[in-house]
Amino acid sequence: MHPILTNGRWLAGYFSVWIPLGAILGIAANLAGRWSVAAAIAWTVPVALLLAVVCLAPYYVCRTLPLRSSAWTKLAFNHLVPAIGISGAVTVAGRMLTSGLAATFPEFGAGLGPSAPVLQAMFAMLYLLSVALHYAWLEMQASRKAEVLAREAQLRALKAQVNPHFLFNSLNSISALTAVDAEQAREMCIRLADFLRTSLRLGERTNVPFREELELTQMYLNVEKVRFRERLRIRVDVAEDCLGAEVPPLIIQPLVENAVKHGVAMMAEGGEITMEGRLKNGQLWFRIGNPFDPESPSTGRNGLGLRNIRERLASRYGNGARMEILAREDWYEVIVTIPMGRAGSGEMA
Amino acid sequence: MRLRAVLADDEELARRVLREHLLRDGSIEIVAECSNGFEAVKAIHEMKPDVAFLDVQMPKLDGFEVLELATEARTVVFVTAFDEYAMRAFEAAAVDYLLKPFSAARLEASLARVRTRLGATVPETAAAHELKQASRRPGEFLERIVVKDGPRVQVIPVNKLDYAEAQDDYVSLRSEGKNWMKQQTIGSLEASLDPQRFLRTHRSWLVNIQKISRNDPNTKDTWLAVLADGTQAPVSRTGYSRFRELVGGHD
Repeated sequence: MHPILTNGRWLAGYFSVWIPLGAILGIAANLAGRWSVAAAIAWTVPVALLLAVVCLAPYYVCRTLPLRSSAWTKLAFNHLVPAIGISGAVTVAGRMLTSGLAATFPEFGAGLGPSAPVLQAMFAMLYLLSVALHYAWLEMQASRKAEVLAREAQLRALKAQVNPHFLFNSLNSISALTAVDAEQAREMCIRLADFLRTSLRLGERTNVPFREELELTQMYLNVEKVRFRERLRIRVDVAEDCLGAEVPPLIIQPLVENAVKHGVAMMAEGGEITMEGRLKNGQLWFRIGNPFDPESPSTGRNGLGLRNIRERLASRYGNGARMEILAREDWYEVIVTIPMGRAGSGEMA
Repeated sequence: MRLRAVLADDEELARRVLREHLLRDGSIEIVAECSNGFEAVKAIHEMKPDVAFLDVQMPKLDGFEVLELATEARTVVFVTAFDEYAMRAFEAAAVDYLLKPFSAARLEASLARVRTRLGATVPETAAAHELKQASRRPGEFLERIVVKDGPRVQVIPVNKLDYAEAQDDYVSLRSEGKNWMKQQTIGSLEASLDPQRFLRTHRSWLVNIQKISRNDPNTKDTWLAVLADGTQAPVSRTGYSRFRELVGGHD
């Protein structure tokens, strides 16, 4: 349905626009046709109402034929044909009105009205004006929607960067430390600040050297070390030659965060997270492994983060980058492969 | 009034700050500190505390599962960092909860509520099953069922649950050749399980669809579902039409 018809106030506004338009039509008929004022009104009001209704029709055509992506021949054909047809029909309706009212207003019978071609041209122009206004309105809607989508994407990215659960738990650790070990509380504040600052800074960039992403991951782990203590153990084995590889930011750190949250944090005795990085066939190969308790309460909410990372890799590298997940009995592993070289130039595989 | 408290949180620092605040109050005696869900159930079973402070995310059992099993705790206060669904559930069930990090004043207010509740002639029983259900996201179902067997906890993954049968105030759960009793209505159990996987074949029977090998006609308008282990589960007329809807076609 046409959006104007869905809202009483819009509908009233639309018809009030037709009052001056109808008045112009009436004055034109009055002057050109030498009709009396009463006759001009009796003819104009129903004709203007009819026009108001038919001028809503372009909405459906405009919506199926977007201005940017349709060929101009198609646009011209699909708008001009209805313009001629509809204006013709309204002209015929106007002519029927004059002959019907000929008994009341003798000037109608005397053939003193504006000529049919003049009327039809006027109606067609009104119809095409309505087409133009519809396109303008649709364009406005589209740009507003794009704006909202862009803002949502930004918000989601920000939210993904800082996991509230992690943040509040860290603040709670600081709250605990202030009474017993002020020095360590301060240290924890600094570690948390380092991590947040760096993740915000890296998040703004399209590419970061792998070295920096690893440093960010380490900062994250430094904070979690305070929370989980000896329950959280880390083994890092990254070859020197892959540190310079360019990677999208915030790919590795969230994966390690998953390993902590769904793996080590859910094990009473804790466990060891392993990270390995290599250059393989000109690609950066990275593996994150963590033990997990198959009997732990389902935290089952990790799908979202993984999907987010997968989508980011796909939109960036197409099929060039891969993320594989291996879940064994009590061991979980994610392997990420990212093309190197001109990686990040945005080219699709 | 002196209160006996059990604390359960897997993070040492989180327990420490809670302990520090509670001891400052002067009238609290901490009878046990636990670092996972199993320990918490055991400690609550043994100590029967006036109040239990439960972290929501813990190894072994989460806070909701502990609440479900540890019926000996007279009152429960949840402690959580952030979980919007859990918070919504607490609000809905009027169960007290503390958000980490919390202030001494907020903990005092919580203790005051605990005392009011303990002083009430009819102690309010927290509707554990409903609370757990409300804390799940829409469309999310239980993946496991926890049962208490004396002081021990039995975890039954739902894919290993053959069927559940209502018996008075209990449900009898059949899994891997054993029966487990749990104090819960069959209706609330049904509501927490995926309706695509578990079918209420009868007023008092809830059956794992994958375990049904065939349906035999019984009397007019009733059937018997024969399960993989040979059990015959009664199927009412509505149960049968639900089964046909789910499985589709003829059997």
